[in-house]
Amino acid sequence: MTHSGAHPLIDQWTDEFHALPIQGGPDWLQQLRKNAAAEFALAGLPGRKTEAWKYTPLRVLERRAPAIGEAGRTMLLEEAFPEPVSRVGAVVVNFENGCLCGDLPETQDGISLLPLSEGLQVFEQKLQTLIPSIETTGTGRMFAALNTAFLQQGLVVHVGKKVQAGTLQLRWAFSPQGASKLGNVRILVLLEEGAQLDIVEQFQSAVETAGTLNIVTQVELGRGSSLVQTRILRESDEAVLLTSTQVEQGAESSYQYNGFDLGGGLVRHELHSRLAGEGAQAGFDGAFVLDRKRHVDNHISVDHAAPGCHSSQFFRGVMGDRSRGVFNGKALIRPGADGSVVRQSNANLLLSGLAEIDTKPELEIYADEVEASHGATVGQLDEEAVFYLRSRGLSDAQARRLLTSAFCHAVTDRLADRELADRLSGMIDVVMPESMLTGEVGQ
Amino acid sequence: MLEIKNLHATVGGKPILKGIDLKVADGEVHAIMGPNGSGKSTLGYVISGREGYEVTAGEVIYKGKNLLELEPEERACEGVFLAFQYPVEIPGVNNTYFLRAALNAQRKYREQPELDSMQFLKLVREKLGVLHISDDLLHRAVNEGFSGGEKKRNEIFQMAVLEPSLAILDETDSGLDIDALRLVAEGVNRLRSEDRSIIVVTHYQRLLEHIVPDVVHVLSDGKIVASGDASLALKLEDEGYSWLEQGGIGAVAG
Repeated sequence: MTHSGAHPLIDQWTDEFHALPIQGGPDWLQQLRKNAAAEFALAGLPGRKTEAWKYTPLRVLERRAPAIGEAGRTMLLEEAFPEPVSRVGAVVVNFENGCLCGDLPETQDGISLLPLSEGLQVFEQKLQTLIPSIETTGTGRMFAALNTAFLQQGLVVHVGKKVQAGTLQLRWAFSPQGASKLGNVRILVLLEEGAQLDIVEQFQSAVETAGTLNIVTQVELGRGSSLVQTRILRESDEAVLLTSTQVEQGAESSYQYNGFDLGGGLVRHELHSRLAGEGAQAGFDGAFVLDRKRHVDNHISVDHAAPGCHSSQFFRGVMGDRSRGVFNGKALIRPGADGSVVRQSNANLLLSGLAEIDTKPELEIYADEVEASHGATVGQLDEEAVFYLRSRGLSDAQARRLLTSAFCHAVTDRLADRELADRLSGMIDVVMPESMLTGEVGQ
Repeated sequence: MLEIKNLHATVGGKPILKGIDLKVADGEVHAIMGPNGSGKSTLGYVISGREGYEVTAGEVIYKGKNLLELEPEERACEGVFLAFQYPVEIPGVNNTYFLRAALNAQRKYREQPELDSMQFLKLVREKLGVLHISDDLLHRAVNEGFSGGEKKRNEIFQMAVLEPSLAILDETDSGLDIDALRLVAEGVNRLRSEDRSIIVVTHYQRLLEHIVPDVVHVLSDGKIVASGDASLALKLEDEGYSWLEQGGIGAVAG
């Protein structure tokens, strides 16, 4: 066995790969896994010198050194998972420590919901193109390479032409057995022409667990199809969550991401959309509310590769205590992508002198007639507004809580699903702890 | 109701109030007039407890209590209300939600049962009717995108709902056209009662044609230099504030 000698964690995972190579699936997949294993070993763990990771240290992960593989299921569904957050009638799929729980629910005609192993048989041709399309080269892509190398757990969702599929809810929970493991999961979503789907993902455990998830989501949107992906994160400070979402959009298709990072200790979302067909739209909205030493990093990139496409990014961050937020929003307008419209906005509230936000909007424009706007702000609560509210009888803490919530409600107000918006607004109000809202640390 | 004795206050180290003495009895309406920079708004802020306004001497006794020892929200709960000269816009906070939270915070402080949303809505509709304010105001964010007149009316509406014992109206007339002024004044007049005292802070006399005060004070350079009845306001209107500097105080004081 040859070791890169780069990092003990990389060596550990390389050893695991060789000791127990994952079997199953077609030959091309076997080969893909092998290549990816070589890639993550070569790349090494992202660190301060990795541009895309420089604000997000992985010390927690290094200390934890989780093994890759199935933790196994031990808890009863109703014990492990809190109430589903989505509307009644949603199809619910549960993952415990990154492993699919039980049989998948029945679905209506035109919708397929399959474990990865079965999906690979039914949709092999499509997946043979889709799965390898995710970038796995370079240190910045190390976790995607890791995900491919250990590709086994996952879900394939296929929605047929013009089918309105309703809501699919994915519930992710850790149970104590997941503490020493890294759950490695791939979600593959295929929407045919004119299809519509809402995915609501809820990350919340009944038992506080130092679990780790590495989720790669790949989406292919056919002409005129529409996907709304809403992610609600309410994990404990112990949880580590690394996600990478890659969307390939056909003409006139629409993708809307709504991320609510209201929990988790170390969280990194990579969100990428390629607007490949004319008139496609991608929206990335999100709110993160951080306290204690939590860390949330949203890295977004949109690739305008066709004319007349619209993209927007709208993120609000609230940081208290010693927490740290990272926002990196990038838009690339390729030559020929004329008539593109790009909107970027990231506003942040720093409630503590020890909290930190690193925000960076990036625009690269190589086309004509492009409409682009971007803005990033970092500020504190408006003390005049605090006084105004107090002069009407609200306590200082109440006033600060109200103003901070209102700042985040700018994101929930944009949700099309009003029922979900109300529930999320309520959740945001609840996660706002008093400790982070005392005026003294405001400066 | 209110007794202010020898009140001195500084803002950023600069003396603004230089020995104010003022007594307001239950049910009285007092007007405080004066040129820009005389300390009119500062007085309102000191009474309501705004940070950054430091009292260096004197006292403010309200209903027998030392008001200066209380936090701004405690003063509000005790029945002190400041209608702001520039009401603050608060995007994302619904006007109704905010007002119910405020009223319930005050009721809780006074050990009264809190109002549920149905009870609150009933109360609010009553007050809206009296003040001729449209429902639409309730559904908007606090003062966000309000016109100058709407903001001032919203202040009076809040006052109507919160029913304070002592209201300070800080230049409530500024920026209003004559129709808006009449509406606001009418709202204030409806709130006049035996157990509610009102201090009207204004630069101009015109508001006092609609809200007729019991006593008029002239504030100049941080001191009350003249007090009289409503006719004092008319004199100021005719002669302006320039006579203050010319030592003409004796002519009207009394």
